[in-house]
Amino acid sequence: MSYDTFGIPPVEERPEPDELDPRSAAALLDETTRRAQREFDARPPFLTLVAAFVVLIAYGSIWLSVRHQHPYAGPTHTALAVLYGTLAAWIVLVIVVLGRAGSGIGGRAARERRISSIAFAATWIAVYVFQGALHHEGVSDAIQYGIYPAAAPIIIVGGAAATWEAAREHWQFMTAAIAAVAIACAAAFTGPATVWLVIGIGLSTIVAAYALTRFALRAA
Amino acid sequence: MTVDELDPLIHTPARLRIVATLAALPEGDTVSFTRLQDMIGLTPGNLITHLRKLEDAGYVDTQKTSQTAVAITPAGRAALAGYKAALLELLG
Repeated sequence: MSYDTFGIPPVEERPEPDELDPRSAAALLDETTRRAQREFDARPPFLTLVAAFVVLIAYGSIWLSVRHQHPYAGPTHTALAVLYGTLAAWIVLVIVVLGRAGSGIGGRAARERRISSIAFAATWIAVYVFQGALHHEGVSDAIQYGIYPAAAPIIIVGGAAATWEAAREHWQFMTAAIAAVAIACAAAFTGPATVWLVIGIGLSTIVAAYALTRFALRAA
Repeated sequence: MTVDELDPLIHTPARLRIVATLAALPEGDTVSFTRLQDMIGLTPGNLITHLRKLEDAGYVDTQKTSQTAVAITPAGRAALAGYKAALLELLG
């Protein structure tokens, strides 16, 4: 490092106010580490806990609108407005929180995360493009407005997430992603209306459990 | 084991906070000088002085692109791990 690296002159090191005894050093190390981990955390537990509620509200609103439909016709406009409104609010919150956590962070790992988020977004969009193909082929409403949009995003994006996390040895998140995929697969057999309820409750439980595990690990 | 045997490059409040903060980054990540300064709460001149000592020891690495990025090196992580182990031994 040189003077030119920063464009700011270095100064004489100020004498430390007190000698560090081992106990104070251990406390300072612990406090600094916890604070830095909280500030750098790209997946803060409170945001994950909010995600559990978002899932419950989004899937629950759809289920409430379709639960008495015979034959199945698909979610009402009101339910879709609640779904997309909740999702939009969630996305804004994620952008704000992650923008703050990622401020000033660079390097290979940060680049990988940015590239992976583009890949996940493209996969998610592809799920809905495929739904257009189902509509084009005249597939039944029960499939194209029920089972497919409820289960397919979780199975496809969840599977991709599990693979990504396994490659990074993030076993907790990988386990949660696999559990979500399993629930979505099983829920697909419950029919076009009940699938929303089963995934809503199952997924929000998994996400909440993951968040609580992170809270517990952070407090330990 | 005595206090004098603790790594003197890490065993000061400012450098201990710098190294602990950098070690909290995932491996392969860097933090900008400005963000690090905000987190540590030192003046730019003081932070540079401490970073220079750590870089001379091979504990941190700095790179100047559009902004100055700071990262802990594998040697820095190993030194911090050794420091933690020594502290634990001292504290019984």
